[in-house]
Amino acid sequence: MSQNKLRNRQVLRGLLTEIKSKAKSLNTPIKIMEVCGTHTMAIHRHGLKKLLEDSGIEMVSGPGCPVCITPNEIHEAAINLVTENNNFILTTFGDMTRVPTRKGSIQTIVPAAGSQVKIVYSPEESLEIARKNPEKEIIFFGVGFETTIPSIALTVKIAAEEKISNFSVLSALWLVPPPLNALVSAKDTKIQGFLYPGHVSAIIGEKPYYFIAEKFNIPGAIAGFEPGDILLALSSILDQKKTGKAEVANEYSRVVRADGNPTALRVMDDMLKVKDSLWRGLGLIPKSGLQFKSKYSAFNAEKKHSLKIEGGSGDLPGCRCGEVLPGKISPPQCELFGKKCNPDSPYGPCMVSFEGACLAYYKYQR
Amino acid sequence: MCLGIPAKVIEVDESKHGKIDYLGTKVKTNFYLLEDVKKGDWVIVHAGFAISKLNEEEAKETMDLIREYIDHPET
Repeated sequence: MSQNKLRNRQVLRGLLTEIKSKAKSLNTPIKIMEVCGTHTMAIHRHGLKKLLEDSGIEMVSGPGCPVCITPNEIHEAAINLVTENNNFILTTFGDMTRVPTRKGSIQTIVPAAGSQVKIVYSPEESLEIARKNPEKEIIFFGVGFETTIPSIALTVKIAAEEKISNFSVLSALWLVPPPLNALVSAKDTKIQGFLYPGHVSAIIGEKPYYFIAEKFNIPGAIAGFEPGDILLALSSILDQKKTGKAEVANEYSRVVRADGNPTALRVMDDMLKVKDSLWRGLGLIPKSGLQFKSKYSAFNAEKKHSLKIEGGSGDLPGCRCGEVLPGKISPPQCELFGKKCNPDSPYGPCMVSFEGACLAYYKYQR
Repeated sequence: MCLGIPAKVIEVDESKHGKIDYLGTKVKTNFYLLEDVKKGDWVIVHAGFAISKLNEEEAKETMDLIREYIDHPET
């Protein structure tokens, strides 16, 4: 299963030539949002950003970085848990530990007596920690989009089946289609096309994006993460723009099925319910988040530990991550970019995460 | 965060737990989210869970499309 051709220079040159001519025939520059942070990284890493710009295609980063869009009040709730309670182990994905808040970051806080912070690769690892440490209370700070949500839900399902009583999840679970709806519904929207996320779509399929084509007539294509995948998807978006007939093209069909992953969708549906959620930079979006159904309250850290997730201290002063996420500004427009805020000492979450637009710009565009 | 790696299944038991081979490293993986998976399949793995099976026919189609650009790079 070689994917080498999707990186082959000659292939990419051919694709770029075609894209250039298609973009030129539109007679006007086009602004396309790459929704997913992994796409942002790939576009910058492979040098496509500048090449596309020269062809009249402006790529704008979207809100597809879960670490970035999780507002500080949830990060601060996690910090409170592990600093105010003895004998807790807070587990989470690596990037989450570095997000700065007014209380510091999870990495820099001093845990209470007997408490610890542990980085995990898989949600299931947190369960293993719970099994091995029955005298401790394990909180998994679980963040993610539809790609990650089924894995977090399944982990809770296993915990419930095994009756593991020292484990719960502080969840920050985000759905991708609602913020896209919010972005295109805004009066001043300038987005003329969407590069849809590959692995979120592996779970949800094509249908949840149909409204963008049907109601707003904005072209889009689901893309994989090799440079060839991205260029094929952009080529389709330009074709749609040219003909004026918007659709949801699937250019990652080796991984994404039209109806997504039915097993994963069933797990989500069985265990979780939608709620209105507050996004960094995008505000409150109706039905844009998920929470565990009451049947699983014993594994919901908010309920189990009577957490109040509200009234956090907000973004750090001067950080413009909240304007980067909806594509309002590009990272170098922030006064702190590359100065006070850099990968060694990130001031905002978009510089922390490996999917953050600021980090992508810092690494590849300076 | 939505990073997924393509990898080959080298082991899967009845509880849908097993291992993948990623660049020569064996990594523990949960296959519960896949309806039908067996040793030798290629899958996309994200955060310790296999989330999709690679469709070889579709992969071939993408490659065929790509091949056109190799044959006619400047057209």
